Amino acid sequence: MSNKPILQLLIYGAVCLALLLIPAFVDDAFLLNKFARYLIFGMLAVALSLSWGYAGILNLGQATTFGLGSYCMAMALKLKTVPIHTGAEGLPDFMVWNNVTELPWLWWPFQSLPFAVAAGILVPAAFAALLGWFMFGGRVAGVYSAIITLAAMVVVNLIIVDQQSYTGGFNGITDLARFEVLGISFDAYARSTYLLVAACLTVALFAALAVTRSKTGLILQAIRDQEERVRFFGYDVARYKTFVFAASAAIAGLAGMLYTIVMEFASPTFLGVPLSLSIVIWVAVGGRQSLLGAMLGALLVTGVQGSLSESETFLSTWTLVMGGLFVLIVLFMPRGLAGIVSGLRRRGTARKAAAQQSGSVGATGAPAGRTA
Amino acid sequence: MDFVVSQLLTGLSLSSILLLVALGLAIIYGVTGVINLAHGEFVMLGAYCAWLLQTQLGWGLLPSLIPIFVAVALLGLAVEYLVIRHLYDRPLDTILATWGLGVMAQQIVRLLAGGELRYVQMPAALSGSVNILGATDSAYRLFVLAVALGLFALTWYVYRHTSIGLQLRAITQNRQIASSFGINAGRAYRLTFAYGAGIAGLAGALISPLKSVSPEMGTGYVVDAFMVVVVGGVQSLFGTVVSSGLLGELTGALAYLSNDTIAKALVLAAVVVIIRFRPQGLFTPRIRA
Repeated sequence: MSNKPILQLLIYGAVCLALLLIPAFVDDAFLLNKFARYLIFGMLAVALSLSWGYAGILNLGQATTFGLGSYCMAMALKLKTVPIHTGAEGLPDFMVWNNVTELPWLWWPFQSLPFAVAAGILVPAAFAALLGWFMFGGRVAGVYSAIITLAAMVVVNLIIVDQQSYTGGFNGITDLARFEVLGISFDAYARSTYLLVAACLTVALFAALAVTRSKTGLILQAIRDQEERVRFFGYDVARYKTFVFAASAAIAGLAGMLYTIVMEFASPTFLGVPLSLSIVIWVAVGGRQSLLGAMLGALLVTGVQGSLSESETFLSTWTLVMGGLFVLIVLFMPRGLAGIVSGLRRRGTARKAAAQQSGSVGATGAPAGRTA
Repeated sequence: MDFVVSQLLTGLSLSSILLLVALGLAIIYGVTGVINLAHGEFVMLGAYCAWLLQTQLGWGLLPSLIPIFVAVALLGLAVEYLVIRHLYDRPLDTILATWGLGVMAQQIVRLLAGGELRYVQMPAALSGSVNILGATDSAYRLFVLAVALGLFALTWYVYRHTSIGLQLRAITQNRQIASSFGINAGRAYRLTFAYGAGIAGLAGALISPLKSVSPEMGTGYVVDAFMVVVVGGVQSLFGTVVSSGLLGELTGALAYLSNDTIAKALVLAAVVVIIRFRPQGLFTPRIRA
């Protein structure tokens, strides 16, 4: 079985390469923007798969960290715009409307774009680490931790909506400048933005894969299957869970930042219950115990949804179908589509093994890749 | 003085709605251990039933209450039979499955009745207001409070003083042993789920004149109701009453001191802390399992 990890790397690499090559064949700016959005959802699915599929932490508030990342980016890009209203030095327009006279201290550091990019990853990770430490340190697990993540998301969402003068409230932060790095300007509809998203997705996917392949990843899976036993072996279960929770949040934060660039705004709906539910559905459909499966699940579901969105009736019927499909998958296919694939492969190898045992070793031939 | 009374009454009204919505959830969760995220949708369906009966058949709210209870309870029965019963040993998956069911229910209602807000008329007999210690309160709100307490009393009586209640308590303590004594746990679970759903439907119908009715209305209620159950303690019906009283008054007071949004956020944050330090709830006596 020594070739299995390499095969997995090859498959992951091939999928990412295919995604990176899409702009070579697609010229429609609108379509590229749409695809970039799907890839960001794919990244979110990878993040959830990491914590849910590999560590058994069902995060019903994955959108929290996504939204935090998105707001970090939006704050920085907002400060890059030339204010439309005549406020004090460079005050965002919504602050002027809310009679804020000077830039709040929270906004000060976001005048630096590198700070904002770092914050977009670190703030969500720190938030998750804090929440994780709080939950897992108290051995809150399973259903209760799922509910805490959900409640925490609602709290953050309510605060953002309420603090209108600092966050733009319901309307979010709109009218943003373009994201510019190294002289490249990332227009939401340009090829460069798509490539940025695809590259980030590739990095996130392989980083997550590296985590799952490491010793830490192994212990996490053991925690998922038998938490008590791992604890008896002397491992600090809470620390491992907090780590993976924060890592997942960092990926979601990165996705959130990209989402702001692609959508050209940030909104409290990014931290909403509907989005969080969607993430769970994508991952369940694709297969939570496979990073790639979860990602492809997200691309598949959002892709179908996007192509139906031309018509309002179709879209609402689709939501209905999605809900039903989700219930069926939970009932009958807890491992999602990836579970079917690995099931087929296992059956295939089993048949091959049976054939080899019956004496026809030379006839079937050893797979060529096995020696590599 | 007037002010204190009226503030207390506001909190009490919030509490009665919380109790109505949480009671069904508490029964289902307490007995079967299922976290029913579709509970809010049962509430929503109850409200839509009230609207439908009123606009199509011209029924007043009061005579429709019993049919609504029966209809939503039957739906709950079907849901338990088709989905929930397969998931009793996978608690995390029940969250997901009921969430999916909730989405479906919302979408079906949106397709059939439209997404716009609907309004249900208050019963004419209860549309006046009552004077209590110098403060006035709407008669209907007091009626809702009375119904909530009545339902609670009924549920408590069934749970404590009837043979079906005895069976339920036996099952919650130890399902295997209860089954070996001939108690049909599957049937008890099904009836519990149906009863909880029916109460949710009733709650929706009773709330409908106070709030606007929309396909999304359930989402907020299920979160609130869950918080009530968690704070009150899973195995304790009285805990549910006390915690809905507590959370209702707290929300009312905080809403007066700051605003609705911050009040909600603070209450939720408090609930998170409570789950962390007392996952068995505030009012559950320690018992040896």
